[in-house]
Amino acid sequence: MRVESSTLTAPLTGGARLIAVDGLVKRFGQVTALDGVSLALDAPATGLLGANGAGKSTLMRLLLGLLRPDEGEVEVLGVDASRDAAEVRRRLGYMPELDCLPLEMTARDLVVHMAELRGLPRRDAVLRASEVLFQVGLEEERSRLIRTFSTGMKQRAKLAQALVHSPELVVLDEPTNGLDPSGREEMLALVRRLSSELGVAVLLSSHVLEDVTRTCDAVVVLRDGRVVTSGRIDEMEGLAGDGVLVRATGDLEAFAGRLEARGLAARRRDGGLAVSGAPEDALLDGVRDAAVDAGVALRELRPAGPTLEDALVDALE
Amino acid sequence: MSSAGPPPAARTADAEIRDVRYGTYTGPRRGRGAAVWSLARWGALRSLGARRGWKAKAVPITLILLAVAPAVIVLGVRALFADQTGIDLSDALPFSGYQAIIGVVILLFAGITTPELLCPDRRDGVLQLYFSTAISRGEYLLGRVIGAIGPLLLVTMVPMLVLYVGILVFEEHPVAYLEEHWAELPRIVGAGVILAVYYGMVGLAVSSLTGRRAFAIGGYLLLLVAPTVLSGLLQEAFQGAEELDLVALSTLPIGFAGELFPDARDDIPNSLWEYALAYLVVVGAATVVLLRRYRPGSEA
Repeated sequence: MRVESSTLTAPLTGGARLIAVDGLVKRFGQVTALDGVSLALDAPATGLLGANGAGKSTLMRLLLGLLRPDEGEVEVLGVDASRDAAEVRRRLGYMPELDCLPLEMTARDLVVHMAELRGLPRRDAVLRASEVLFQVGLEEERSRLIRTFSTGMKQRAKLAQALVHSPELVVLDEPTNGLDPSGREEMLALVRRLSSELGVAVLLSSHVLEDVTRTCDAVVVLRDGRVVTSGRIDEMEGLAGDGVLVRATGDLEAFAGRLEARGLAARRRDGGLAVSGAPEDALLDGVRDAAVDAGVALRELRPAGPTLEDALVDALE
Repeated sequence: MSSAGPPPAARTADAEIRDVRYGTYTGPRRGRGAAVWSLARWGALRSLGARRGWKAKAVPITLILLAVAPAVIVLGVRALFADQTGIDLSDALPFSGYQAIIGVVILLFAGITTPELLCPDRRDGVLQLYFSTAISRGEYLLGRVIGAIGPLLLVTMVPMLVLYVGILVFEEHPVAYLEEHWAELPRIVGAGVILAVYYGMVGLAVSSLTGRRAFAIGGYLLLLVAPTVLSGLLQEAFQGAEELDLVALSTLPIGFAGELFPDARDDIPNSLWEYALAYLVVVGAATVVLLRRYRPGSEA
């Protein structure tokens, strides 16, 4: 499936879209990195999903005005990114994927310096650095040289510098790269807080589906430089109206009979029963009670409709 | 025993409680000039080893002390012995010859400090962070050039200013000395700037070619010292070929700056304009290298 143009939710602020891209083409020699990408993003947090080489980083660099498109238009926060890149970069924060931190600086000095580069007076830069380092959990390590940091701490420092000037939009390129499981959990929680509590819109790139589903409201999937699908995550996941798929051990015929006796529709599917015919709460109560009545043990209960993963796999195939 | 101090409410507040929760910043925002200044300031501090261990500070500080040492020694000798001996030490160390005396110190100082401004940014990938802000590549370079020249003035200009002020202080009639020698001040400043710009730009140009400090230091010394040695050998072979002095790249700006002082002109081969031309060629080449290395689309 190829989606030429997509609009994700209503605009967030002031009517201006966070990101609007139309017919974007970017080539590097013979390689076409982006091939006619059109998007309009307004969700508080949007995930950019795709395998390595799908065009995520190229799209981000175009949004930042670091590259010029060969064709098409890029508008970020209502500003033409290819014409006024400096204004775009002044208003957003960027957390690069690769190593980019000065190893011989302390975290505090780095964040103060980056705040000054973004126009904050020195005194304000120092205060903001303290605030943002506290928010990312680096307040205790602020005076340590970055070369002594773990990977997780470096990722936090990268995030802190991206937030220090109070950006309207923060662009995060693979923020969980290289993190161990606990570090990843903490980073994902932090990213989710940006849009849900701190009021900063997020554009996150990742090749890990779970990173996107846990932190974002909408998703854009890229493959070979094209948008293959996009939309709100809750709309792409299975809906309650699609019913549930139940797998159980025991007499499935009796189980199906008990379900139908409760006014629910049950049909065989994938070695289990697809059950529908009632709102979500009543449906789940009916399945529970019918299982008890039929004396079967539930082994699996999940939405019968396609999951986000199903939808994305379908889109990528 | 109770304290006799003022009650808490009457004390001047020396601490305050701040809310460190993340909020939207609504304060003033400065222009791009402030960003350039920030790059220059942090770069200069880094090149001098500030906020790092003593090892990083030791070499630059030692070289600064060595650069000032001749002035301090002459002034000290004058203060202690001039009255007894009757020797006029104001001519013992002329301003025109000061930079030649500490030429090696200036050369080494620039070799040590200028790579600190560019090499770590390339090595650590910091450029992508800088260029994700509103600053342009040209502004980045301008900040780094200022950050290189500022510390260099500590060894090219400040020692001569120390000497000038010291002489002024020890003079019996300081005002008369100032009236007679005021013209030395702009010459001192000019000579200091000439050397700082030259060594700073060459050092930065070489540093822009590599992310490794050791290579930058080695390349810089090789670039400046090798032609100087060659020039010396050729002058031995071709007596009287004073033009060869213009390719002695490590001493070229010292000869140029010396031409600013009238008392030294007769002792320096070649004319002011010949030096100026050679100087501009070298500084221009360094500028071209820097601009090419940081042009849009380059690896930087």
